[in-house]
Amino acid sequence: MSSNNVEEKVNHASNSKGISLPMTRVKLIMKSSPDVSSINQEALLLTTKATELFVQHLALSSFNNGSGKDQTLLYSDLANTVEEKETFQFLTDILPKKILVRDYLKLLEENPIEEADN
Amino acid sequence: MEGDGSTTDASQLGMPGEYMAGSHYVLQSQDDDCDESLHDHEEGNGSKENFREQDIYLPIANVARIMKNAVPQTGKIAKDAKECVQECVSEFISFITSEASERCHQEKRKTINGEDILFAMSTLGFDMYVEPLKLYLQKFREVRGSVCAPSAIAHAMLSRLVCMTNQLPAGIITADGQQQNVMVYTTSYQQIPGVQQIQFS
Repeated sequence: MSSNNVEEKVNHASNSKGISLPMTRVKLIMKSSPDVSSINQEALLLTTKATELFVQHLALSSFNNGSGKDQTLLYSDLANTVEEKETFQFLTDILPKKILVRDYLKLLEENPIEEADN
Repeated sequence: MEGDGSTTDASQLGMPGEYMAGSHYVLQSQDDDCDESLHDHEEGNGSKENFREQDIYLPIANVARIMKNAVPQTGKIAKDAKECVQECVSEFISFITSEASERCHQEKRKTINGEDILFAMSTLGFDMYVEPLKLYLQKFREVRGSVCAPSAIAHAMLSRLVCMTNQLPAGIITADGQQQNVMVYTTSYQQIPGVQQIQFS
């Protein structure tokens, strides 16, 4: 009887199928930061769980922000959300908007940048 | 001979995926092949030496699964969106870790602890995660407490409590009134100064 309850509680506490991210990998990424010597168990747990929340947060925000076609989350939705929402702005460097060459050329035509030579 | 530092050299425009510094655009190949562009972005990212530590990623299957569960059931996710979030995740982890690490160093400590992480989140604009995380941590500790304590110890503690008070304290009975569901949480097994009860709501 009590072991059933324990299992139940483990699932309950772990919040929908437990932590669905490999903590060892999370730790690896954390350790790749400069000057990080050691990370305690709680810190690793919190970071892993937070990462899960972050994925949900980013995915849902972008989805809702989306162009609305096909109910599909696109790269462009992500890029737009990152640009618009302050929380996600740390991602702007790794999530540049994609632009076709011809559009970029057009952009240049409209806003010429000074060049010393042609 | 360029007048300024930014790469506006027209000859570079012909190459797909060339990352234009300073303008936050990456070129997409003409046939609109999203996947290739993403890979080009990874390789042609500005300077050649830009081999970032963030090239360690979490498995895309796990990331994709979380995304899928987050969006409405009928929603779909483009492949390059998944890959993208995969990269963002590594960035997020590094972002939080650096901040936590800095605080840790400032306080002359070597080990990053839970508080550092929570503090970093708050500082970096993720304070909306802090409460859910605290709750999660609490529940995790509770469960760990019950799983680790052999049932004999739990039973003994309960018996002792009953003896001491000569009745079962109301506070220790959970919602369904069953004794077996009592969760006892202590910080050590050597001594039991008092039994802290935590009930699941």
